[in-house]
Amino acid sequence: MSKLKGKRIGLLAAVVLVVVLVGSLVFGWTYHEYQSKTKNSLKNIKSAHVMRWGVKSDTRLFGLISPKTGQSEGFDIDMARTVTKQIAKDQGTKIKPEFTPVTTSSKIQLIKNNQVDAVAASMTITPERAKIVDFSNPYFPAGQSILVKKNSGIKNIQQLNNPKSTIIGVMGTMAMETTKKFAPKAKLIAMPDNSQAFSALQSGQGDAMTTDNAILYGFCQQSKDVAVIGGTFTNQPYGLAMDKGQTDLQKAVNRALKEIRADGTYDRLIKKWFGNIPGLDWRELTK
Amino acid sequence: MSYIIQFKDVQKYYGDFHVLHDINLTIHPGETVVLIGPSGSGKSTLLRTINGLETIQKGQLIVDGKDVSSDKTNLNQLRTDVGMVFQHFNLYNNKTILDNIMLAPKIVLKRNDAKNREIADQLLKRVGLTDQGAKYPAQLSGGQKQRIAIARSLAMDPKALLFDEPTSALDPEMVGSVLSVMRDITTSSSMTSLVVTHEMDFAKAVADRVIFMADGKILEDSSTEEFFKQPKTERARQFLSQVEHH
Amino acid sequence: MIKILTDNWSTIITGFEFTILSSIVGLLGSLILGTVFALMEMAPNKFLKFIGTAFVEFFRNIPLLVITLFFYVVVSHAVKINGFWAGTIALILYTSSFVAECIRGGVNSVDPGQMEGARSNGLTYTQAMIHIVLPQGFKLAIPSLGNQFINLVKNSSILSFVAGLDLMYQANVISGANLDPFNTYIVIGIFYLLLTGPLSVFMNHLENRLR
Ligand SMILES: Nc1ncnc2c1ncn2[C@@H]1O[C@H](COP(=O)(O)OP(=O)(O)O)[C@@H](O)[C@H]1O
Ligand SMILES: [Mg+2]
Repeated sequence: MSKLKGKRIGLLAAVVLVVVLVGSLVFGWTYHEYQSKTKNSLKNIKSAHVMRWGVKSDTRLFGLISPKTGQSEGFDIDMARTVTKQIAKDQGTKIKPEFTPVTTSSKIQLIKNNQVDAVAASMTITPERAKIVDFSNPYFPAGQSILVKKNSGIKNIQQLNNPKSTIIGVMGTMAMETTKKFAPKAKLIAMPDNSQAFSALQSGQGDAMTTDNAILYGFCQQSKDVAVIGGTFTNQPYGLAMDKGQTDLQKAVNRALKEIRADGTYDRLIKKWFGNIPGLDWRELTK
Repeated sequence: MSYIIQFKDVQKYYGDFHVLHDINLTIHPGETVVLIGPSGSGKSTLLRTINGLETIQKGQLIVDGKDVSSDKTNLNQLRTDVGMVFQHFNLYNNKTILDNIMLAPKIVLKRNDAKNREIADQLLKRVGLTDQGAKYPAQLSGGQKQRIAIARSLAMDPKALLFDEPTSALDPEMVGSVLSVMRDITTSSSMTSLVVTHEMDFAKAVADRVIFMADGKILEDSSTEEFFKQPKTERARQFLSQVEHH
Repeated sequence: MIKILTDNWSTIITGFEFTILSSIVGLLGSLILGTVFALMEMAPNKFLKFIGTAFVEFFRNIPLLVITLFFYVVVSHAVKINGFWAGTIALILYTSSFVAECIRGGVNSVDPGQMEGARSNGLTYTQAMIHIVLPQGFKLAIPSLGNQFINLVKNSSILSFVAGLDLMYQANVISGANLDPFNTYIVIGIFYLLLTGPLSVFMNHLENRLR
């Protein structure tokens, strides 16, 4: 008797659990849809006087936590600051930038969840991504390269096109996809972020690390026994990303980008961050 | 005079608690000695020092010619010669009855399987449980379990057996069968038995000597007849009248 | 969701295989090592006891991710060890500390009379442990061991941090490409359920049968 009863209660509990789970999923989804339909990021930014940016915290030159301030510093952060300032000026109001650290794989989700208004996180403009988020015009001309240990004797990516070679990429980056084209025979492993990919290279987990050249140059600055080799083999500029359908914000950002290029601010920022990297001419980047 | 167990001025402590005071006791081969006394008087503790389940802190304890408190003594060897039967049987719950009896002879004495089985069957017959070999302890009654525990001890062919209240945990109707097996064993001339029990009729019938303990001290050590007729101490008299009224 | 499944079928299956492999190796490894640790913890010998306790406390009290990265980044300088094995070894060490505690708990709840019975029957400590106490202790430990093994399967997702090619890693790769983490992780969650569900049922069955 009591055993049967126990079973029935168990069943009931399971049903309730499923209903609650499905219910909250459906609720979450509808709420999310509703929000994205009625949201106007630019309006929100103006009324809150705050523009929320997602930025990297692990990427040298673009967005790296400074141990002194505890804040991310880099080209992306300076771009976000200047763009915010310019938008404020254009809109005739005060807007403060605010920064949230993102990872390569979480950045789109944070936009979608309305936790940030825009992302400046060394993010390549791709058609797939453009289906889900809106990009600004390019703000940095990146291209993919490979980084190797100096003593490895590797000169270019073709040398890695064999099953004995392992190439380390970063989860959720374009580089993962393109590497498959340039070295289809090589083994490819993905690490959660740039710095982990780099420590994997240093501890011998792979023969080369691949991602955007500018990021790789950052590692060269940091460690003397690695080098970027073979130049870039793709052309993959970075864009600032916003939620899909936020046309007002997109226009405001593009306008701001155009203005800071025109008044020389952009060139100053490029020089500030990329002016003294061995093997890189910063003037190339401003073209 | 020959002896199999000898306590000389033995002291035992549990931490600060002095459980056994100045124990002096000699037991001769073939003797049946009954140990009685109120609960908490140290009977179990005394029994357990004999096969080294408890260590003594002072004095000397010789069992079967070996000094139990010496580090050099092989207690495992000693325990094959001195069996023990517990109040709560302590049968191996994960083994069948036959395996309970045959395990120690097999792995300790290295007795061969055929011989081992033959002896086990004989013992099962002796304790009146011939058909129970394939069962597990949980399937037996308390009285049956205790008889198996006795058979398990006997399988090691010990020189002495220690019984610690073997019938105290049994339903009254089970007690008789266990006592009759014990009577059978203790009366066999070669076996030395030391029995803690509250069964006075059993004591009167089989004991050569009675030891009376209270508060960790041996108060009396007399022949059975003497003890029951004319106890020397007031404590023993009190105790007897209490037990007899049960 | 069906599309995620069909588009990435072979990727998901590869991940599933690595997760299963890591789980099986982890389960066997942590069962053996956990038993060894438990025995050392309970050993009468002070030195063994110290080593056993130290091992258990050490691995129980540092995050699994730290152990994993230690093997992946540090140990790999000396011995070449890939992400899969770094993660799986870490998983074994980490889980075995919990398994040891389960087994110790099981053995401690075996009636002390079993040990006394065996010792006064002439068995050595080791013989009594092997034949009498451990078998009963294991049986008593089964429910809590079951929990540890389910945790182990779920914890194997740690491999994703070190490119261990497991389900979670493949989920990250897939969602990085299709930019639909929401549905991808639901699909991957179902695959984890396919492992932990039957394991859970099996452990319950074992528990009932041995009762
Ligand atoms: N392991 C132990 N630790 C501490 N005290 C104990 C232990 N075992 C028994 N005692 C105490 O020692 C005394 C004697 O116990 P015991 O030998 O079991 O007496 P008896 O068997 O005569 O009833 C009791 O007061 C008991 O509480
Ligand atoms: Mg007692």
